[in-house]
Amino acid sequence: MSGSFKKIFTGFCLFACTFSTVVAQQKFTVSGIIKDIQSGETLIGATLRVEEKVNVGVSANEYGFYSISLPKGKYILKVTYVGYVEQVLDIVLDSSVVIDWKLDYKNTLETVVISSKKKDNNLTKAAMGTETLNMKDIAKVPVIFGEKDLLKTIQLLPGIKSAGEGNSGFYVRGGAADQNLILLDEAPVYNASHLLGFFSTFNSDAIKDATIIKGNSPAQYGGRLASVLDVKMKEGNNKAYNVSGGLGTISSRLSVEGPIQKDKSSFIISGRRTYADVFLKASPNLKDNILYFYDLNAKANYRINNKNRIFLSGYFGRDVLGFGNNFGIDWGNKTGTLRWNSIVSSRLFSNTSLIYSDYEYDVKIKSGVTDFNINSNIKDWNLKQDFTYYLNPKNSMRFGVQAIHHTITPTIFTGTVNNTETKTGRRSLENALYVNNNYKATEKLTVDYGLRFSAYSILGGDTYNIYNKGVKTDSVVLASGKAGKTYYNLEPRFTFNYRLNEVSSLKAGYARNTQHLHVLSNSTSSNPTDQWIGNSYNIKPEIADQYSLGYSRNFKDNQFEFGAEVYYKNMKNQIDYKDGADINTAPDVESELLYGKGRAYGLEMIVKKKSGKLTGWVSYTLSKTERLIEGINNNNWYNAKQDRTHDLSVVGIYQLSKKWTLSGVFIYNTGNAVTFPTGKYQIGGETVFQYSNRNANRMPANHRFDISATYENTKKKRVQGSWNFSLYNVYGRENAYTITFEDDPNDASKTQANQTSLFRWVPSITYNFKF
Amino acid sequence: MRIIINLVILVILFSSCEKVVQLDLSNNEDKLVVEGSITNQPGPYFIILTRSVNFNDPSTYPAVSNALVVITDNTGQRDTLTYISNATYKTNNLQGVEGRTYSLHIVSDGKDYTAQSTMPAQVNLDSLRVNVFLFNGENQINIIPVYKDPQATGNNYFFKQTVNGKLDKTYYAFNDNLNNGQSSQRPLRSNDIDLELKSGDVVQIEMQCVDLNVYTYYFALSQESAGGLGGGSTPANPPNNITGNALGIFSAHTSQTKTIIIP
Repeated sequence: MSGSFKKIFTGFCLFACTFSTVVAQQKFTVSGIIKDIQSGETLIGATLRVEEKVNVGVSANEYGFYSISLPKGKYILKVTYVGYVEQVLDIVLDSSVVIDWKLDYKNTLETVVISSKKKDNNLTKAAMGTETLNMKDIAKVPVIFGEKDLLKTIQLLPGIKSAGEGNSGFYVRGGAADQNLILLDEAPVYNASHLLGFFSTFNSDAIKDATIIKGNSPAQYGGRLASVLDVKMKEGNNKAYNVSGGLGTISSRLSVEGPIQKDKSSFIISGRRTYADVFLKASPNLKDNILYFYDLNAKANYRINNKNRIFLSGYFGRDVLGFGNNFGIDWGNKTGTLRWNSIVSSRLFSNTSLIYSDYEYDVKIKSGVTDFNINSNIKDWNLKQDFTYYLNPKNSMRFGVQAIHHTITPTIFTGTVNNTETKTGRRSLENALYVNNNYKATEKLTVDYGLRFSAYSILGGDTYNIYNKGVKTDSVVLASGKAGKTYYNLEPRFTFNYRLNEVSSLKAGYARNTQHLHVLSNSTSSNPTDQWIGNSYNIKPEIADQYSLGYSRNFKDNQFEFGAEVYYKNMKNQIDYKDGADINTAPDVESELLYGKGRAYGLEMIVKKKSGKLTGWVSYTLSKTERLIEGINNNNWYNAKQDRTHDLSVVGIYQLSKKWTLSGVFIYNTGNAVTFPTGKYQIGGETVFQYSNRNANRMPANHRFDISATYENTKKKRVQGSWNFSLYNVYGRENAYTITFEDDPNDASKTQANQTSLFRWVPSITYNFKF
Repeated sequence: MRIIINLVILVILFSSCEKVVQLDLSNNEDKLVVEGSITNQPGPYFIILTRSVNFNDPSTYPAVSNALVVITDNTGQRDTLTYISNATYKTNNLQGVEGRTYSLHIVSDGKDYTAQSTMPAQVNLDSLRVNVFLFNGENQINIIPVYKDPQATGNNYFFKQTVNGKLDKTYYAFNDNLNNGQSSQRPLRSNDIDLELKSGDVVQIEMQCVDLNVYTYYFALSQESAGGLGGGSTPANPPNNITGNALGIFSAHTSQTKTIIIP
C-alpha cells in the first residue's frame, strides 16, 4: 500500500513540475508575513508585486506568509490589500531576506464592498468561481433582524441561492445544501445553522474572512461536490486589549481580544446569545417555551520563534428548543483545531493540523407514560499536513496529505421507546493525497492545476446490508478493526486564465469532486435532525465533473468590474428517498434509498462597483438543475428542488457622510420547484391528493427590498459606538414560504391552497461598541 | 416531532400570515380509485370504485358502476361482487380469514387491475388507556391503544380514531421498528390542531393489523399530511398494491374496535 502511495506521490510531483523552467541564474528569496499594523492580524491573500516585472508577484497564504525568489538586483516591492494603504519598499537584493509588512487600514470614504485583493486581481488570478468576503466589508449590507450573517450575504452572489427566505442554508450551482464543504478554521461544520436555519453558526465578530469556491477548488480541498466555504476566525489583537460587542433585537454579542505576549501571541474569545426566550417568558401563553441558541468562538496563537507558530481554536454552539417537560430538542456543533505553522525554509511553508469536529442532536419526548430520547451524532478526528512550496516566481505549489476518521451514529431511540434492531456507530476513514501548482506560464497565461487522490474506507464494527431496489440481497459482517470496501478516486482539476488585454481576461476550468458523506433529508427545509450517512456497500461516492468558462472585464480604471461564467456539471451517484420512505425508525435506512444522477448548468453574471461613494453589485444567475433517479418520477428527469431559473440580487451601499451610510438590497428569484397536487380522490371518506410529475410546479416568485442605515461616531473616543437601523421587506411583499392544500373549511365540496408567508416589514436596531 | 417544530416556527414568526391562493393546477390524468377491504369480521365486504378529479373541480367523484370485480383467496374461494349503489360493490359469500391472501381483479373500461393483500394474524387490542400529561400549563389527553406486539418482527398496524362520531383525519400507521415484542406505549397523537380530547368525549378506536404494503401506503400518506411549515416530504402518490396505475388501496386486515368515555 505505502509503496503504491509513494509511486503516486512521485507521479504527482513530476506532473506538477512539468511546466517549471530550469533557472541557472543565482536567486535570492524574499519571504515573510503580511499583517495589519493595529491588530497584528495576518492578511490572507495580500499581494506583493515586483514593480520592475509586470507578471511577478505572490499572494500571502492563509497564514499571511509569502515567499518569492528573484535574481540579484535592485527592486521596488509593493504590497497591497483591499481597504489597506499600499506599502512600497526599495531593496537591493544580494542575499535572501525576511521582510514582514504591516499595513494600515484605510478609514476613508472609499469603502470597498467585495474585495478582490488587488484592484485588477480578477483579471490575473487563475481561480474560477471564487469570491472572498471580508467581514469589515459586509458589515453594512442589510440582513434580517439586523444580525449580520456571512451565510446570508454570500447568497447575494451569483450562483449561490438561498435555501429559503431568511434561511442560512444555501445551494451552489445546482448542488444540494449538504454538497457544500463548510470549514471553520479547517474544521468541517456539519450543520451551519441555528434556529432551524434562520441564523448561521458564524458569529461575525469572531470571523476574519471567508472564501467561497464554486466547484473549481484547488486540490487541497475535497469531500463535497458543489462548493467550499472556507471561514477563518480572527486571531486576536496582539498589540492591545479590545472589548467589542453589540446589542441587537435578536441577540447580543461580546468579544474580548488582546495580546498574550505583546507582538508575539494573542487570543480572542467571542460569544453570542439570543434572548427571544426572555420575551417568551413574559407571555402567559408561551412561558413554558424554551428557545435560544448561543455560540462561543475562542482562538489563541503563540509564536514560538520567528519560524514556528502554534494556533489553537475552537467553536462551541448549541440550540435549545423546548416546551416545558414535554418536548425538548437541542443540537450543536463543536470544533477544535490545533495548528502548527512552520517556515521550514524561506521557500517552504508547512502547516500541520489536528482537527476535531462533532455534531449531535438530542430530542426528548415526554407525555404521560411515554418518555424517550432520540439521538444521532457525527464525530471526526482529522489530521492534515500541508506544504506550500515557492519553487520559483513562476511556480508555487501546494501538496499534502489528509486523513479523517469519522464515527457516525444513526438515529437511535432510547427510553420507553427503543429500536428493535440495535444500531451502532459506523466508522470510516477518509484519506486524501494532493498536489497543486500555480504556474505563471507567460505574462498573459496563468495555469492552476492539481490532482487529488481520495480513498474512503468503510471500517469494521457493524453489519452492512446490501440492497437491490430496497430488497436485502446480502450482508457483510465487518469485525471491529477490519477494513471493508475502499473507494478510490482520482480528482483532476485545472483552471486557465488568459489575459486578453489590460482590462479583460478569459478563463476556463475543469474540476472533478467526490463526496463520501451525504445528508439524508426528505423535507423541504433544513432540520436539525437531518442525518449524515457515509459511503457503504450501497451508497457509492458522489462524483461531479464541472466544466466552466469565464470572462472578466474591468471598466473605468478598475472602478467597475464585470464577470460572467458559464458552467455545466454532471453528477453521479446522487441519493434520494423512495416514496413513502421511513427515515427515522427503519431498521436500516439504506433500505429506503434510491440512486441516480444529476445535471446542472447555468450562466452567472456580476457587475461590481468597487469604489466611490456608491459601491455594490448586481448579480444575475440563469440556471437549471435536474435529477434522474431510478424509482422516482417514472424514471424521468425532474427538476431538483433547488432549481430556480432566474436569480437577481442588487446590493448598494452609499456613504452619505462621514457618519452615515445607507444601504439597500433587492432580490428577485423564480420560486422553487415543488410538487403540487393536480387532482384529488377520496379514501375512507377523506380527501387524498393526486400528484403527477415531481417538482413540475413552481412556488410564486420571491422578491423584496431591504434597507439599512448605519451611524458611526467617527470621533476618537474611548468607547466607539455605532448604530444600525434596518427594515427588512420594505414594501411588505408576502413571499410564499409554504403552500399547503386542504378541504375548504367552509365548503366540504371544495379544496383550497393556503399560502403562508413569514416576514413582512421586520424592523431591527443594533448597537455595536468597541473599547 | 415535525408538528412541534412547526409550532416553534410559528412562535418565532409572529409576523407570519396565511391566505388562500388560486393556483393553476391543471393537466390531471383522471384515474381509477380503488378502496376496498376484507376483514376477519363477518362479511359482506365492499369495494368502492371511483375516478379522481381535477384539484379545482368540486369534490364529487364519479362512480364506476359497470366494472367486473372479483375477489379470490389462496384457498380457492372466489366471489364476483355485485354492484349495489354509490360506487360500491358488495361480496356475496366470501368470509375473511386471518393468514389468507386475497386477490382483487377489476376490469373497468377494458382495462385490467389487480391487487393482493394478506390478512395478518390478529394481535389482540387489550384495552384503551387515557394518557394525561401537562403541556404548556394545560392538561392534554390522548389515547394509547394497549396491545402486546408479538416477538417476531414485521407487525404493522393501522388505527382509526373517531371522537364523538367524527373521524380524526390523522393516519396512524404504526409498526414494530420500535419496541418490538413489547407492550405498546405509543399514543395516538393527532395532526388535527383543533382536536382536543376532554372529559366526556366518546372515543372509538379501530385497530387493524395490516400487511406491509398497506402500512406503507398509510405511512406515506401520514408523511405528506404532516408537512406544514417545517416542510413535509416531497409529495407523491403513495406506493400502493394495485397494478394498472390505479390509485387507492386494497387491504385485507383484522379489525377490532373499542370505545372509551374520557373520565
